[in-house]
Amino acid sequence: MSDFSRDSLSDFVRDVMIVARQEAHRMRHYYIGVEHLFIGLLEIKGGITTSLLADEGLLIEYVIDAIRRRTSKGSRDRLWPDLPNTPRAKIIMDIAQELAFEEGRKNIQERDLLMAILEENDNIPMRVLNALGVQMAQFRENARTRQVKRGVTGTFTKVNIAATFEGDLDTDQMFILRRMFYGYAEVRVETRLTRGFSSAVVLIATPIHADQQADASVVVKIGPSDAIQEEAIRYDRYVKNTLPPLTARLEDRPIAPDNSNYAALKYTLLTDMQGHSVDLGMVMNEWTALELGNWLYDQLYRTFGYRWWKQSRRYVFEAWKEYEWLLPPALTLQYIDTPDNAPPPAGTVIIKPGKRPKLEEVEYGAVVQVANYIVQKVDPDKGTIWLALGDGMNTPRACEIEVTSIDFSQDTYFRGEAVEKIYGRVWRTRHERLLDAVRALEADFDLKGEMISVGAHRLPNPLKAYTLMLEQPIEGALSIIHGDLHPGNILIGPNQSALLIDFAHTRSGHTLYDWANLEVTLLADIFTKNIQPDWNSVREVFEHIYAAYNGHSLRETDTIEAHAIQQLVESLRRIVRDCVSSPGKLSEFYIGVFFCSMRAVTWENTLPLAGRRLLFLLAALAAEQFRDEVKPDSRDKSSNATATDQTRSGEG
Amino acid sequence: MQVTIMFMSGVDDGRSLHFESEMDGQFVHDEWTIRMGRENDNDVVLRDRFTSRHHARLLWKQNSWWLEDQKSTNGTFVENDDDFFNDTRVQLLPMQEGQLFRVGRTWLRIEVSGPL
Repeated sequence: MSDFSRDSLSDFVRDVMIVARQEAHRMRHYYIGVEHLFIGLLEIKGGITTSLLADEGLLIEYVIDAIRRRTSKGSRDRLWPDLPNTPRAKIIMDIAQELAFEEGRKNIQERDLLMAILEENDNIPMRVLNALGVQMAQFRENARTRQVKRGVTGTFTKVNIAATFEGDLDTDQMFILRRMFYGYAEVRVETRLTRGFSSAVVLIATPIHADQQADASVVVKIGPSDAIQEEAIRYDRYVKNTLPPLTARLEDRPIAPDNSNYAALKYTLLTDMQGHSVDLGMVMNEWTALELGNWLYDQLYRTFGYRWWKQSRRYVFEAWKEYEWLLPPALTLQYIDTPDNAPPPAGTVIIKPGKRPKLEEVEYGAVVQVANYIVQKVDPDKGTIWLALGDGMNTPRACEIEVTSIDFSQDTYFRGEAVEKIYGRVWRTRHERLLDAVRALEADFDLKGEMISVGAHRLPNPLKAYTLMLEQPIEGALSIIHGDLHPGNILIGPNQSALLIDFAHTRSGHTLYDWANLEVTLLADIFTKNIQPDWNSVREVFEHIYAAYNGHSLRETDTIEAHAIQQLVESLRRIVRDCVSSPGKLSEFYIGVFFCSMRAVTWENTLPLAGRRLLFLLAALAAEQFRDEVKPDSRDKSSNATATDQTRSGEG
Repeated sequence: MQVTIMFMSGVDDGRSLHFESEMDGQFVHDEWTIRMGRENDNDVVLRDRFTSRHHARLLWKQNSWWLEDQKSTNGTFVENDDDFFNDTRVQLLPMQEGQLFRVGRTWLRIEVSGPL
């Protein structure tokens, strides 16, 4: 800082100043403010500030992005020369200088600067910490007394992996477990719960004291730190006050070590009985479909429904607003560096927020300008950012656009940033990605037409149907939803109680999304697990789903699978009928089934071939059911299918 | 009545501007306006490229301060109690003493003191 000679700063604070200047430049702010000083304190590892935030369970990168969101990036046009200090930054440096003098020192050290920012208390970083839930009085006291970098002290928590545990934990995951159960003699890792489709690891662990006394088991989720942080925030906002009395709760802040890309959360299970919980995926094969269906209705739906799904309000929306994010990015652009005030190159397609753009019509190789989209995700290693309409927190993201080949040494982007303008050339489209995913299914039927032939049925081709499906106006229901309801996130506690975990996508949203997602994942999980992935085996399962969706009655001669599918679909329909906004109209549910199925088709690495094949057919079926209900007169067109069904009944 | 507008972000973060109104008996003159924008003829001149020339104004009317957007390009906002990171866009809104608001990308705060 120009007002301070280099001698008046400790080495540490000198480094802070350098980082602060870099941050100001990266953000195109052209001044040094308190926010840049604070980010300087955060970016230098091993200091008091970073260790205090780790204690709060706050990830450094997350706090930095939160501060950036509050200030926003500036323009490339400069309105003044040099890099002046803001009046508030000057005040803070004066306070820091005084604090140093009081200690009999001439130079300002990290603690002086941090305490000055805390004392002034009217600045952006303090507002942000406050908004992130930091108890400021305690934080200030810790800042005053915290010793710089404690050595490793205290007892070493032993991680003991039970014999029944499948797979390994890597060193990062072991490290986080030790941090989480610091103070215990041992933590016993009991079981790994069924993996969802995220990269997180979920396990049940029992902490044990030095006297061998075991505390109640907890569910630990270890995952990428930004996702964990977001889950904690969503829990606070949507979940905390809406849970039944016996349930899984987040009691502590996440563990987010400043030297790891992982963070972890701990769900405490409040149950009235002893015993371990298991997830639904683990019992699915032991229960009959009827037991499963009844349990979903009686335990899960009735326990959580009161504060969640049953609190439905009317919600009119276009399908893309709730469901587009399930599809691959609409466009992938190769970044083009363009000066701020330069006019767009000739022929540029300009995409503005607000109205949904017709991204399907944008051609390969076209130059696209995207204005005021929000950054959802940043990957500096890949030089890629993901932009979308909606912030992903209150509203799901839509119209996702991937921008690659960004030089992060020249430009900074942060999560939550509203990007004023960015240019790129189209090199991949959603249609191409979906086509690739469907080609991988190696269909034995024609995919070129508007309809596909599945056995005797003619169904809409999902590849052709999805753009129109996105634009459908839906009269639906809105409530708090889990946002990722699948068998891995539903636990069965003692006494068969239902517990939910994983609130990383919980929000206020389309009520039926949860039940569509659960139906899709259950059908794929249960009924394709033990079959061959060939098309004939898949079609056989699909036939039963088709019959269940169309309400065909079964006879004793039908297979066990046919009965099981019908029972499961029927029991889920009880819930669905209870949740729809217009009695008897299931079109808002079919829209959900369509998009949840289409998403799963793209999961080449996590969902086996048989599952993806089945869900592609299910998407087609959902599209048909949707069309039939929305346009009752279109029944005639599908008389083909109806006739076939009659034949089928006649055969038996 | 005295009104202070404090810059809460940007290059002028921490700077205060003081305004005073004549008393007329028991009443402060109605129609007291504080104009904000990038142009020099404003009462509060903002050094922010995301601020319009005549962006917004604060009005004293019916014993209350009102914040009014002047059809600005990038909008006028107040903090959102439910979500710190999603500010609420404002057309016309009564202001509380000490409330923060955002003009373009610059945060400001209104502080009122002295007898009304």
